[in-house]
Amino acid sequence: MIQIRHLFKSYGRQVVLDDINLSIEKGVITGLLGPNGAGKTTLVSILIGVVPADRGEILIAGRSLDENLGEIQTICSIVPQNLAIYPMLSARENLEYFGALQGLKGSNLKSSMAYCTEIASLQSFLDKRVGKFSGGMKRRLNLAIGLLNNPRILYLDEPTVGVDTQSRNYILETIKSINQEQETTIIYTSHYMEEIEQVSDTIAILDEGRLLLHAAKETLLQPQGSVTIRVNGINDMLRQSLGRIASVRVLDDGIQLQRDTRLRDNLIEILLLLKKQGVDVVALDSRDKTLEALFLDITRKRLRDAC
Amino acid sequence: MLKILYILKKEFLVLGRDIHSLAVLFIMPVAFILIMSLTMRDLFASHAVRQIKILVVNRDRGDPSRAFIAALEKLDTFAFHLMEAGSDLDLIRRKMFDSDIKFALVIEKGFSLLPKPDLSDQTTRRMTLLVNPTVNRQTYLILKNTLAANLAKTRLASLLKGRQDMLAYAGIDLDQIMQSTAGLIETRYVYKGRQRFKIPTAVQQSVPAWLVFSMFFVVIPLSNTFIAEKNYGTLLRLQSMNVSTGLLLVGRLLPFFIVNLIQVVLMILVGVFLVPLAGGDALTMGDSYAGLLLITTAVSFSSISLALLVAAVAKTTEHATTIGGVLNIILAAIGGIMIPKFVMPHFMQTLSVVSPMSWGLEGFLDIFLRNGNVLDVLPEFLLLFIFGVVMLGTTAVVIKKKMLL
Repeated sequence: MIQIRHLFKSYGRQVVLDDINLSIEKGVITGLLGPNGAGKTTLVSILIGVVPADRGEILIAGRSLDENLGEIQTICSIVPQNLAIYPMLSARENLEYFGALQGLKGSNLKSSMAYCTEIASLQSFLDKRVGKFSGGMKRRLNLAIGLLNNPRILYLDEPTVGVDTQSRNYILETIKSINQEQETTIIYTSHYMEEIEQVSDTIAILDEGRLLLHAAKETLLQPQGSVTIRVNGINDMLRQSLGRIASVRVLDDGIQLQRDTRLRDNLIEILLLLKKQGVDVVALDSRDKTLEALFLDITRKRLRDAC
Repeated sequence: MLKILYILKKEFLVLGRDIHSLAVLFIMPVAFILIMSLTMRDLFASHAVRQIKILVVNRDRGDPSRAFIAALEKLDTFAFHLMEAGSDLDLIRRKMFDSDIKFALVIEKGFSLLPKPDLSDQTTRRMTLLVNPTVNRQTYLILKNTLAANLAKTRLASLLKGRQDMLAYAGIDLDQIMQSTAGLIETRYVYKGRQRFKIPTAVQQSVPAWLVFSMFFVVIPLSNTFIAEKNYGTLLRLQSMNVSTGLLLVGRLLPFFIVNLIQVVLMILVGVFLVPLAGGDALTMGDSYAGLLLITTAVSFSSISLALLVAAVAKTTEHATTIGGVLNIILAAIGGIMIPKFVMPHFMQTLSVVSPMSWGLEGFLDIFLRNGNVLDVLPEFLLLFIFGVVMLGTTAVVIKKKMLL
């Protein structure tokens, strides 16, 4: 659905996007991660056609973005991080205004407004001034406006910032249901790793203008590392017995098992061995690789917006 | 076309619910027009013909004193209010302060003997002029000189009375001598620039001045909306919706042009109907509605263009409000909005030509005061139009540099 080839963008001497190559399939939710200043906003701004790229090619639904911008914009939509709504207007007036500017009119506009209002669960508050809405209601309206044109591609930039747990969950569930029901391709940027884990099918990590990683979530987050069995002490006989088992390392205070295909069998064999030799198990450490740990491993821990 | 209507609807809904912007655009100029039209009446009156009130107490019974008063009453400059001959100083003083009359003239007994005064007695005074100490010295001197001139005339008339035969023998016509000498002086006004200069009344100055001022104050709502759209991602959302830059610009210009038109109509109505109700003079409008529309369009175009530039340059709404507010006040101060240009020192009058508010004010004065037409407001129209084009061009450069649109 989206193909980016050798994309470059710089502001003056500062390179913001450096040879980005990315391909996103139809109906996939892609979590776009990156520290502050990584180039996420610039990449999305280029994809929605409000910032021109310096070099490179972007194909959306098989058509060149440069040559078919107006047409492509009609099938795309963005939900900005900030609340891009008018607080002095009611929810109805906001929906009507943005819908009309997208070319919707008459019964199409009305039905689209009704559908989006229902999705955002704002039916009872349509005529209330948006300035008096709660944070969650404003976020839901912000999302609803992004859905007015029934987009095939939806860019969501931190759509849950500053909302309570219920509203956040509602928004995430809504995003997933839109994706499943309408095969909407979604690019989702957020600093909340658990959100990305929850909604994304694939994950892309940008840093300092470069795409460091793009892969399916299952591949990235499959259990990695090791399992360690902590014990009181290991005698020589035990050490010899353990040494014969593959993918096992004997430590001073325990036994480390590699997470591989033999893990289950090895774990059972070792636990039986320990029982037989009368060695007590003190603890079992099993650390999965989290998205946050993966993100920090890849992007390093250095602050990007400090002196 | 439909999109423009929705943009207009949105702008008017937002503006109509923004009480602060409404106050700045409509209530502030109405208040200024009312206050200034009433409080500045005296300032403007000093440049127009306005009668000076004087109390008169005639304690003399002779013909010369009556003739003296009659001669004074013929002068347009003064309005005399006669008091009882027996009024004492205390009563006169109270009357002066109660009625806010700055002068009282007491003609003492023996005034009619003036033609034959005892010149050796320097303490003899046949008239006393009571003066409120707050009175303008120039006004006091004008009155005193007028009294002295008429006194001399009265004395001459008394001296020559009964001597017509002798004068006729000498070939002198007494009536001709006694005629006012004012007719012998021809007055011609000279102008530095335009030939049609005319001093306005307070309302004629206030209505166009505060109208122009308020029209330039669209900078507050316009820049606030633009900056909010810029900072909160609304502009990004609109741009991603395939809404053209042209439509976005027209969406800024058109609603505020209509706001400016409403301001013009409202301020004219205030000048024509409300100010007279409050005790001031009524605004006279002139005859050229085409000229009025032309100058209104030019002022509106330049004020919206300036507002767009401020909106493009400013980073926050507070920033825009400060820049816009201060800029407007400076342009108003040097442009003859706050203080009429004709009372400014010469160098300030010269400086005022750099202010677009001054051009707008002169254009409206051409229509309201000088009964001008389209041709008369053409110079101001062109200046304002060029100013607007320059502001719009600069805005386009700033927007391109900052990649706002």
